[in-house]
Amino acid sequence: MKRFPRAAAVALAITLLLSLCGCGAADGKTHLTFQIWDVYQRDSMVAICDAYTAKNPDVVIEVQVTSWNEYWTKLEAAAESNTMPDIFWMHTNQILYYTEFGMLADVTNLYDDVDPQYYEKHFSDISRGNAQGSDGRMYGVPKDKDNIVLCYNKEMFDAAGVAYPDENWTWDDMVDASQRVYDTLGKYGFMAYNDDQCGYWNFVYQAGGCILTEDKTQGGFDQEGTRKAMEFYIGIQDQPWCPDQTYFAETTPQTAFFSEAGCMYLEGNWNLWAMQENFPEMRGKWDIAPLPKCPDPVQGDGRATISNGLCYSTAAHGKTRDIALDVIKFFGTEEAQLIASGFGAAVSAYDGTEQPYFDAFANAGYDLDLEILNDQFEYGVQSVNNSARPKWKAPVLDELNKVYNGQQSFDAGMDNIQNIINTETAKKLADE
Amino acid sequence: MNKGLKLSAAAKREQNWAYIMVAPTIIGLVALNLWPFVQTLYTSFCEHLGFGHYKFVGLQNYIDIFQRPEFWRATWNTIYFCILTVPLGLFLSLLVAMLLNAKIKGKGAFRTIFFLPMVCAPAAVTMVWRWIFNGDYGILNQVLGTRIGWITDPNVVMIACAVVAIWSNIGYDAVLLLAGLQNISKSYYEAASIDGASKVTQFFHITLPMVSPTLFVVMIMRLMASVKVYDLIYMMVEDTNPAVTSVQSLMYLFYRESFVAGSRGSGSAIVIWTVLLIGAVTVIQFIGQKKWVNYDV
Repeated sequence: MKRFPRAAAVALAITLLLSLCGCGAADGKTHLTFQIWDVYQRDSMVAICDAYTAKNPDVVIEVQVTSWNEYWTKLEAAAESNTMPDIFWMHTNQILYYTEFGMLADVTNLYDDVDPQYYEKHFSDISRGNAQGSDGRMYGVPKDKDNIVLCYNKEMFDAAGVAYPDENWTWDDMVDASQRVYDTLGKYGFMAYNDDQCGYWNFVYQAGGCILTEDKTQGGFDQEGTRKAMEFYIGIQDQPWCPDQTYFAETTPQTAFFSEAGCMYLEGNWNLWAMQENFPEMRGKWDIAPLPKCPDPVQGDGRATISNGLCYSTAAHGKTRDIALDVIKFFGTEEAQLIASGFGAAVSAYDGTEQPYFDAFANAGYDLDLEILNDQFEYGVQSVNNSARPKWKAPVLDELNKVYNGQQSFDAGMDNIQNIINTETAKKLADE
Repeated sequence: MNKGLKLSAAAKREQNWAYIMVAPTIIGLVALNLWPFVQTLYTSFCEHLGFGHYKFVGLQNYIDIFQRPEFWRATWNTIYFCILTVPLGLFLSLLVAMLLNAKIKGKGAFRTIFFLPMVCAPAAVTMVWRWIFNGDYGILNQVLGTRIGWITDPNVVMIACAVVAIWSNIGYDAVLLLAGLQNISKSYYEAASIDGASKVTQFFHITLPMVSPTLFVVMIMRLMASVKVYDLIYMMVEDTNPAVTSVQSLMYLFYRESFVAGSRGSGSAIVIWTVLLIGAVTVIQFIGQKKWVNYDV
């Protein structure tokens, strides 16, 4: 074999080294990374980044998408080594954990030069609540707001001779309609899936119960309203018109709905656009309605829907913190939020920027009764959270599974869940 | 190295070179395997407060997990999974290896087919199997004319997972065993045939003893992999599946503990427990091998 010339080897080594340096900015611009988890919102995020970089040509923002599960594992690891992405989405499930350890930059005074009351004036209580830490300060600029809606199959309702659901619908109407659909068509009615945000949480608040008490230090599973709703919701699967949880383990309610195996289920509005895109043959055959209300709530008027929202955050000690703060400051303006709404993937949080979301559906020819979202925001309930939730989430799910498959009686199960939440929360509070 | 031994300068230089040559591997091993293990061991005595902040709590994590029924359930599930997959999987792999070693047409094609599951991404494999096992629309129930919830019924879900595990691993194990089989000299079989030994006798007196070192290695590897089973079960059975407690392995529990609940302390304790389990099983195997593994060729 001919000997590899030494000069060539040195040249190769230098090239390799140089390619490593290539990661740094060679064009003199500031490069920022922006991490998100929803591929359907990539376009809208790129659009607002473009709007920012058009005004600030010396900044380049790269939008990166990872899956929901991976996102949190990666973000936590990055936070530990202080290599978080420059800008990222923050979720209510996680924000208390991140703020407790001071990982997120405080943005409470971000708009002081514009208006010290900026957040209060332009964002709802729920939107602000979803971006706050336990100390009540803002750790993210509200991005969007959502709520849970009832999806129903219009064709099946027509075939069964049942009137479409409207804002006066109660749990009883839902049960009747399910029974009628099952009797006439042999299809499933309302599919009650063991899910929190897109399931029993909504029913609990409709019945006047709660998952956590107002001060978030105790569970609400000992309350009459909570038990009433849980009994109703879990009991649904004993009806012939609702599949049991083993069915949902293999077939999600969404799959069952779009394969026309069942006629109703709960869905978050953030999925509506993707559902129109993914199931073109079903367009026009289904619609959305407000959640049915509890006919005899323990307190309140029987209406509720879980309303959640994301926010844009940046690391507390990031190297590019000041530029990143400027970017998310822009993301919170009316201009950026109008752009983001226009992609139909999420309703922007800024009050008055909802219309482009509705227009996006209309322009695409997706006919859905989206106006109900605005009505539902009126009585939305903030997504449930306290700093101990990561600890009690999985055990509560396991316990609910036991109640569902009959290994545990209803009352004992509820007592255990209450106990799990209280114990974990107390432990967490003692640590703080 | 004997201390009294005097080394010449050349020999010393050679020795230094030897250390330099093995350094990359040793450094990699220490940095990527040994150090994380030490850290895991330490973490198992700590409570994870969040973002890398730990509080030393001594044996508390172990006391906690030993009191939890789902931990013992997961331990049993893991052992049960090994019992279901290892003996049957090895038997089938050996059978396949012997068939592939025989004089048949299209041997290369068969070898490729059996090895294919190993090349496929586990995620894709489990997606396909989930459809096969689907209680309502799955082809398995259609063929059998049954309505068994293969991955939702707590009583059969483990069997379903074991089937997929065996199916995925046969090819790889068979290829290793095939290498062992091909090392057996043909002359043994010829001599045995002349002496009038039947095929069965040949198998037990020639094939099995001669392939036993390879079989032993494959068995140890398969058993370790089975104790550490995670991805397959995670993909097959989501945590909203009511059957999850009946199939949750130690590594699945570790994942939920460490990454879902964020309790890395007790998660690490589960890992240490698993290491002890693997260690015990391996020690037993090494003692047992003296009885059946034959190294004099």
